[in-house]
Amino acid sequence: MELIDRYVHEVGRHLPRRMRADVQAELRSLLLDTLEERARATGRPADSELVKKVLREFGTPQEVAARYAPQPQYLIGPRLFPAYKMTIGIMALVVAALFLAFFVRGVLKIIHHPADAVNLRAALDVVGKILYTAFFNFGLVTLVFAIVERVQQQRELPGESWDPASLPPVDDPDRITPATHVFSLYAILALAILFNFYPEWVALVGFGKLAGQWRLPLLRPEFSMHLPLLNVWWGLAFALNLLVLRHGRWRRETRWAEFGLGLFSGVVLLLIVTGPPVFRYNRPVKGILLGALAIVVIEAGERLYHLLTRRPSEPWRAAEAGASGEPVD
Amino acid sequence: MVEMLQRDALRDNLGLEFRRGALVLAVLSQLRGEQYGYSLKKALGEQGLEIDEGTLYPLLRRLEAQGLLRSRWRVEEGRPRRYYRISPLGEQIQRELAADWRALARALDRLLA
Repeated sequence: MELIDRYVHEVGRHLPRRMRADVQAELRSLLLDTLEERARATGRPADSELVKKVLREFGTPQEVAARYAPQPQYLIGPRLFPAYKMTIGIMALVVAALFLAFFVRGVLKIIHHPADAVNLRAALDVVGKILYTAFFNFGLVTLVFAIVERVQQQRELPGESWDPASLPPVDDPDRITPATHVFSLYAILALAILFNFYPEWVALVGFGKLAGQWRLPLLRPEFSMHLPLLNVWWGLAFALNLLVLRHGRWRRETRWAEFGLGLFSGVVLLLIVTGPPVFRYNRPVKGILLGALAIVVIEAGERLYHLLTRRPSEPWRAAEAGASGEPVD
Repeated sequence: MVEMLQRDALRDNLGLEFRRGALVLAVLSQLRGEQYGYSLKKALGEQGLEIDEGTLYPLLRRLEAQGLLRSRWRVEEGRPRRYYRISPLGEQIQRELAADWRALARALDRLLA
């Protein structure tokens, strides 16, 4: 019977927590019933050989758990996997290219200055950093895809009441490219992690003949005073991208939210530019931020213009209101 | 040999697809009285419908989650067992499915004649 306990426990490990105890109790009872019946039918004792036979018939713990699980449990499902694989592939290519470039550079340096052991150490140091960054980004991309996977699953649940009238027009200005939003999610997360936890990495990096690799951090410690507002901005932007992905297209309310978020980002940039100096090279960085602010203002104006002038192309609204019988141009 | 195996796999898949929907009706039909998993399997087997454990038990849970069955735990002979019984909604749907089944069987009989 110890084998049954081990089997039931193993099945439970592959099940969601909320259904685990219940399925385990039922499975144990079913196994004992089967075993008892089998022993009676064959006239042999319910020994370990018979237990093994019955367990083999039930299937491996993973198979049994999969049958009970309400839906396949994917970190990244088969539909998103090709895009995920492609993203990781591109990242691997970039890392490999960087790796190769630094390797060749290191080898050339050693050939030209064989006595200079510092070069080798510096080269190894850079290679280590590339690998670290690669793993960090690999984790981040995986996390973003896993979040999108869950958002997409939720979107598909109410799919039974699909109405053909909800089909978007062929030339749909509100159609989205999911890859763009997935990339935005990744970029927002990367920015938030960078500014919150590794502000010293926000730096100008280069190589000089004298000093080897150099790095000039851009942020002063005072920059942290802007972090709460920046975090709110990134949090809202992350949520908006998720929402748009969940809807599968832009809607009027998400367009307005995008406009509002644009204004908010403008205010944040303005506060940073007009506030006390928070950058080590304040003048040039502020110049760049002023440029960004100008772009944000122009974009917000453009979005507002579209919101006020464009006829809403939201066919599901008509369908929801029961007006789907009206001619649609 | 490989072709033969592929043919058998195809035949099995089509057969499974064919049986899947019918099993729901068969299970509902046997749960007018309370049954626990193994007794239900036996009852189905005695009527000529063999069903393996891996299919039956998850099916019972799914039907319960859909509101077609009800279940409760009872301790009998010192062992706790989960007993299933058809719900009023299940009875209603079972009657409708049975009518569909008979209409389908008649139509297929005509087609295969």
